[in-house]
Amino acid sequence: MKLPTLSTLWKVLRNAVAALCGLVIVIALLPSKARSQLGLDPCCAMMQVGLNTISGLLRNSVAMPLGSIQQSQQQSANFEQQVVFPMAAINQARSMAVQFESQFVQMRQLFQLPVASATLPMPQMLEQSLLSANPGAMPQITSNYYSLYGTVMTPANAPQPVRNLVDMTDAEAQAAMKKAVEIDALADLELQAAEQINQQLQTAAPGTSPILEAETATWLVRANAYTQSAMAELVRVRSIELANSSGQLKFSASHTATLQTTGNQILQQGVQ
Amino acid sequence: MKTKTLEFLRNFQHRLSRSKRWLVVAVITMCLIPANTRAQGIGDLLLLLHTITSTLQGPIGEALSEMRKVSAAVNNFRQQIIWPLALINQTRAFVSATRARYTGLMSQIEGIKNNSATLTLPMQLESVFRSAQSGSMGQIPSIYSQVYQPVALSGIAQPVQRNLMDMDDAMSMDSLKTAMVSDQTTQSMLTLADSLEQQAMTAAPGSASMVTAQARVSDLETQAQLAKMLAAQLRQEATKLAHQNALLKQRSVATQSLQNQIQQVLAHP
Repeated sequence: MKLPTLSTLWKVLRNAVAALCGLVIVIALLPSKARSQLGLDPCCAMMQVGLNTISGLLRNSVAMPLGSIQQSQQQSANFEQQVVFPMAAINQARSMAVQFESQFVQMRQLFQLPVASATLPMPQMLEQSLLSANPGAMPQITSNYYSLYGTVMTPANAPQPVRNLVDMTDAEAQAAMKKAVEIDALADLELQAAEQINQQLQTAAPGTSPILEAETATWLVRANAYTQSAMAELVRVRSIELANSSGQLKFSASHTATLQTTGNQILQQGVQ
Repeated sequence: MKTKTLEFLRNFQHRLSRSKRWLVVAVITMCLIPANTRAQGIGDLLLLLHTITSTLQGPIGEALSEMRKVSAAVNNFRQQIIWPLALINQTRAFVSATRARYTGLMSQIEGIKNNSATLTLPMQLESVFRSAQSGSMGQIPSIYSQVYQPVALSGIAQPVQRNLMDMDDAMSMDSLKTAMVSDQTTQSMLTLADSLEQQAMTAAPGSASMVTAQARVSDLETQAQLAKMLAAQLRQEATKLAHQNALLKQRSVATQSLQNQIQQVLAHP
């Protein structure tokens, strides 16, 4: 009884172990993902619906706004090219700069025409220095000036107040002459700068022309400053002229008083 | 073949015991059971699709919609506020009208002749130095010396006085010639100003800055020429001052000399 039971138990156990091993092998061999054997995979249908939704969203939420943006930008580009920055107007402005160049050169050459008119040697020398537009010629102005207009009188020839007045006047006259030479030289530089900026304008773009305008404006400020300094020199010349008139009136009054006193003395001596 | 297969299956049925048959049925059933991982995969896919659609609808769609609005607003702002075409044309018309209104009047004023001399020689001189023709500058010295006389001969005036006369005449003639050049360049500058105005009439908002820059350069030219004229005036004024001072020096020396002579006379009656 015992043996058949053990034998049966052994058989059951052996079959169970065999079945377990077979199950393990089958599980091991099972594919991790399997498609259904009958009909469509439900996953495909879901994916189709999802992709259709995405496609619709791309059309409505992405493509339409992008198309609208593209249209707007195209419109903006056309507006800028045809109304704001038309190529014809830009080229016309450039060609105007080319035309202006010859005018500027012509005007500069006009101001370089010789205007010297003195006929005697000493005036000729001073005039040459004054019209030279060469700041290096300043020392020559001083020497030529004294050669032509004379130096300050010696103490034996004039009282000190008169000598002071004469020296001051000579100083201002020479300073004005030197300032005239400086202003001429500066004006020549300004004309050169204007021509160079004008050459730049011939190839400028609308975006770079404000830079050139700023550069020109800077030169204008400078030019105005130099003009102002020349005006100041002119005011000084006129002031010295006015001071001379006043000084001479004072000297005349003093001389008249002295003459009157002397005359009275002589008349009193004659009476006695 | 079919017979062989049927026979094999019949034998197989006989060979397999009852328990073994159950084992085969269990194995086949296991094969047909869907895996757990597959269920998990479908869930992930649904989640992914949901994420994509919500991203398209939310951040991307809303941002693009905003960009469209901004782009349209910028475009409208440019076309209606900054550069409205009607206003551009109106401004061009204004420049044109201004030019039409004032150019004629200004030309008439410019054309007025200021010549006032009545005698022959002064009329000639005035005509030359108001001609604004630098080519006529050569006529100035001869006509000038006819009107104002040439420098006194050496026997008639002292060398110092002759020098003063010559220098005064020279500065006067230099300035007259410079004024002639200035008048001529003034005409050129007015022509340039006219060209600039014509450009302004047809300029676009984008090319107007180029015209402005050109006008600035012309302005610089004018300033330089103005400086030249100012230099000429300075020379004139300086010469005038030097002349007065030279006379004062001569008078002072002469007075001192006279005083010495009077004293000598009084000392020896």
